[in-house]
Amino acid sequence: MAESPARILENGLWKENPIYRQVLGICSALAVTNLLANTLFMCFGVIFTVTLSNFTISLLRNHIPPRVRMIVQVLIIATFVMMVDIIIKALAPDIHRFIGPYVGLIITNCIIMGRAEAFASQNKPVASLLDGLACGMGYSLVLIAIALVREPFGFGTILGYALPAREVWWHQWTIMVMPPGAFFMLAIATWIARSVFVKKPAK
Amino acid sequence: MNKKSMGYVLGFTLLVCVFCGAGVATVHFSTLGLLEKNEALHRNRVICRAFLLDVPGESAEAYAEAIRNHIRISRVRDGNSLRTVYRRTDAGQEAVGFDFGGMGFWDRINGIVVLTPDLAQILNIQFFDHKETPGLGARIEEQTFTDQFKGLQVAWERDAGQRVVIGASPEPDAGNRVDAITGATQTSSALMGFLNAELERVRNLEIE
Repeated sequence: MAESPARILENGLWKENPIYRQVLGICSALAVTNLLANTLFMCFGVIFTVTLSNFTISLLRNHIPPRVRMIVQVLIIATFVMMVDIIIKALAPDIHRFIGPYVGLIITNCIIMGRAEAFASQNKPVASLLDGLACGMGYSLVLIAIALVREPFGFGTILGYALPAREVWWHQWTIMVMPPGAFFMLAIATWIARSVFVKKPAK
Repeated sequence: MNKKSMGYVLGFTLLVCVFCGAGVATVHFSTLGLLEKNEALHRNRVICRAFLLDVPGESAEAYAEAIRNHIRISRVRDGNSLRTVYRRTDAGQEAVGFDFGGMGFWDRINGIVVLTPDLAQILNIQFFDHKETPGLGARIEEQTFTDQFKGLQVAWERDAGQRVVIGASPEPDAGNRVDAITGATQTSSALMGFLNAELERVRNLEIE
């Protein structure tokens, strides 16, 4: 039975959130979250790719030969990743210089392929588009939350703007700039999210 | 139509490839002008930073203007190829810069090294592009690393590979040594290797 749009959005954003429930797309969540601006562009890349690839794969789902199904899906995903890579390079070259390698890696992001296989290849285009949007936004919510902690602690800024009276009270936490800071923050974010949003099964 | 037949599979796959290729090509060609402008701005910004030029504002025109006013750029024959040479002739701030590059840990690293006109001292070093590991080798472009090169002596009397030392040395306080990047020994060693090789080559250039 087809799910309602509200349920699809709820699943992607909270109940089946790709990061803290499905534990997918962790590589980029660790790599790009030390600066909020980088995180926002990465989120744009993932939302763009997962939404449009879900829609396209769903449109073609009845025509794709089963044996080459995954090759075709990867080809479609790679096309959208290439497009978003070029767009970011054109619009924000300085940010692209930093997150460029990770934008390319969206091709192998498990969220995209997972949604293509689990949802888009079995559901109608509009529902698939919504599912992609919801999963992309669910991924983005967690990444933005992590970046909102890492950037102030690591650089004393938010979106490049210095925190108020920074020179008086702020002291750099170098670990927040380095990859280990991302591991700690991701674990804490997952712990909080699972404690608050995930209902424990009745015994 | 039988979706399992070879004709259908080949035809469908080919069609998807054509559409995907056309889509990427369309986006690529529609942003080509913007990409070229961005590249020129990035290059000019790196050159201005390397020569420590004061640039009023952040616009592309401001950087281009600063270079036009202070730097003379020429191409000098270097073996079978041409090397870009930059000259700053402002009184008291004379300097000469060279494009340099070589293999890093993952891919080619390209940059600019600025020296005093007698080539005795490095004034600055900056990088145009590289593909080193973010957070490790990519830290070569951070100011804390590049600032070490400001005023660094080039020990011309030493062996060709030891004129500038990046990393551990029996003489830690030597005037031609800078610290390597922790966790990026391969990048640091590669940079030391090709920087010394390039210094040897630029010494033999005939610059007017």
